Amino acid sequence: MSDAHIDVQNLSKTYRVPQRQSGLGAALRSLVQREYLEVTAVTSLSFTIRPGEMVGFIGPNGAGKTTTLKMLAGLLHPTSGTAVVAGYTPWERRPEYLRRISMVLGNKSQMLWDIPPLDTFHVLGEIYSIDKRELQSTLDELTAILDMEELLTKPVRNLSLGERMKCELVAALLHRPSVLFLDEPTLGLDVSMQRRLREFIADTNRRTGATMILTSHYMADVAELCPRVILIHHGRLLYDGLLGQLSEQLAPFKLIRLALDRENSSSEWRDRLPEDTAVLNPDPANLTLRVPRRETSALTAHLLNTLPVVDLSVENPPLEAVIDQIYQEAAV
Amino acid sequence: MNTNHQGGLALIRATWLSWMQHRSFFFILAFGWMIQPLIFMFVWATAAGDSTIGGLTRGEIVAYYLTLILVNQITYSQTNWTVGDLIRGGDMNRLLLLPLSPLYNTLASELAGKVVYLTFVLPITVGLALLLKPEFHLTAVSLLAFLPALLFAWLLRFLWGYWLALLAFWAARADALLAVQDALVFLLAGQAAPTLLLPPALRLAAVILPFRYMVGFPAEVLTGQLNSAQLTVGFAAQLGWLAVTILLYQVMWRRGVRQYTAVGG
Repeated sequence: MSDAHIDVQNLSKTYRVPQRQSGLGAALRSLVQREYLEVTAVTSLSFTIRPGEMVGFIGPNGAGKTTTLKMLAGLLHPTSGTAVVAGYTPWERRPEYLRRISMVLGNKSQMLWDIPPLDTFHVLGEIYSIDKRELQSTLDELTAILDMEELLTKPVRNLSLGERMKCELVAALLHRPSVLFLDEPTLGLDVSMQRRLREFIADTNRRTGATMILTSHYMADVAELCPRVILIHHGRLLYDGLLGQLSEQLAPFKLIRLALDRENSSSEWRDRLPEDTAVLNPDPANLTLRVPRRETSALTAHLLNTLPVVDLSVENPPLEAVIDQIYQEAAV
Repeated sequence: MNTNHQGGLALIRATWLSWMQHRSFFFILAFGWMIQPLIFMFVWATAAGDSTIGGLTRGEIVAYYLTLILVNQITYSQTNWTVGDLIRGGDMNRLLLLPLSPLYNTLASELAGKVVYLTFVLPITVGLALLLKPEFHLTAVSLLAFLPALLFAWLLRFLWGYWLALLAFWAARADALLAVQDALVFLLAGQAAPTLLLPPALRLAAVILPFRYMVGFPAEVLTGQLNSAQLTVGFAAQLGWLAVTILLYQVMWRRGVRQYTAVGG
């Protein structure tokens, strides 16, 4: 095997979901005869991740991101395929494995609700058998970085979402995991709290060398934290590579921006464009066109020859737009 | 099972701290659980009048039911009702990520809850004893045998409810079976009537099935209703059912976790 810290091969997961039509009749029928639907969440997914790498897992809702993370964290058994994380098969759920990993779920709390975070941290210290002095020094270090000393003694139920997420991160890092799964850690947070937690996560990755997989719908999270992204859609891998090259490889279109000479241009420019060209901004001073990638050079030449062009540039579309396009078209 | 007693004890401590915040909730629960045996105590005590019924005097019936109230409180596993919710709602995820069997979490709530509601039930039972003058014929044997009978009764009732609750891995509302368990405990575990007073067919069912060994048996042991042969057979049945229950729990857990769909993020 390679030096991969996470090695996933042909991982698949199919759920069996009971289903019925709406209405009382269907409800009664389902009491006698249940109908099930096979839902494929993940299909033959393969990738490897090196120790200390930070990888963004992206895809639309229902793409299979969380299902994959849950399989890697040992919460779910796959239907087929293999995964080795830090030398263990996750779903065997060995205690030694669970001591090496951590998972932060943006929409589920790990904290005990009625008591102050400090109590939860001490319980986790006992559960993970962390030496008391080591626990205290880790706690001091993390709470200082996150500037949250005053939160430690308030009941968790009284904390704001952002404050709670700080506690979740501390709880996840107390036992110094070597693999961290972050499932939408910035969900629902305001922009400055998102930025704060992003900095903390990046810093943790640098300081501890933990391997991290992050899922987020906020592209800012992924763009700032993850040089590499894995894009999945309908449970299949669509792209695995550098984030910077994602647009280039996956966007089926480019943007041509051009400024026309105001004096010599009129509304005629519209007639000179091929019919299927999408005009994103019709202002002649800053005309923006979306054109199929393979037609870019021919169209650029055509525009330069037929219109009074003052300035012209060809760009990859913004990342958010590419992702949106991929999500909507459901295929690349 | 992923044994981690150090972590388990810490979890029990923390759960106790958090449940102390809701004392009145437990007091109300505990009050609710006392009502049924109290009603049946008054029914049978009145029926016995100045003579005996099934060989038990009024005072002996009061002694039996007061013991039963305590045993019922100590062995009732209210936490099992929440296990199905943990599985259905995906909150089991949080527990499965820890290097500690999720059984500890339920056990922690269980023990923490007991400490809280016994602070309510014990003084009330003592008060009732002072008022109603029970007749206890305590012997060294009955006292010594009561403690293990009580411990096994609690383990049996707790684990039996736990394996039933684990059926939520397959069927969304498996906790309905816990209501069935409660009904059978009511009928066959000496609550509606002491086992001695049951009609023969029901008495046979009570002796064979596990429910009597969850509540009635320890109360019968303490109040000296059993001879030494009945005591031995009773302990054998209690331990036998406990072994079966542990096996059922292990099988259910292993298969259930494979089946788990970890919904809800």
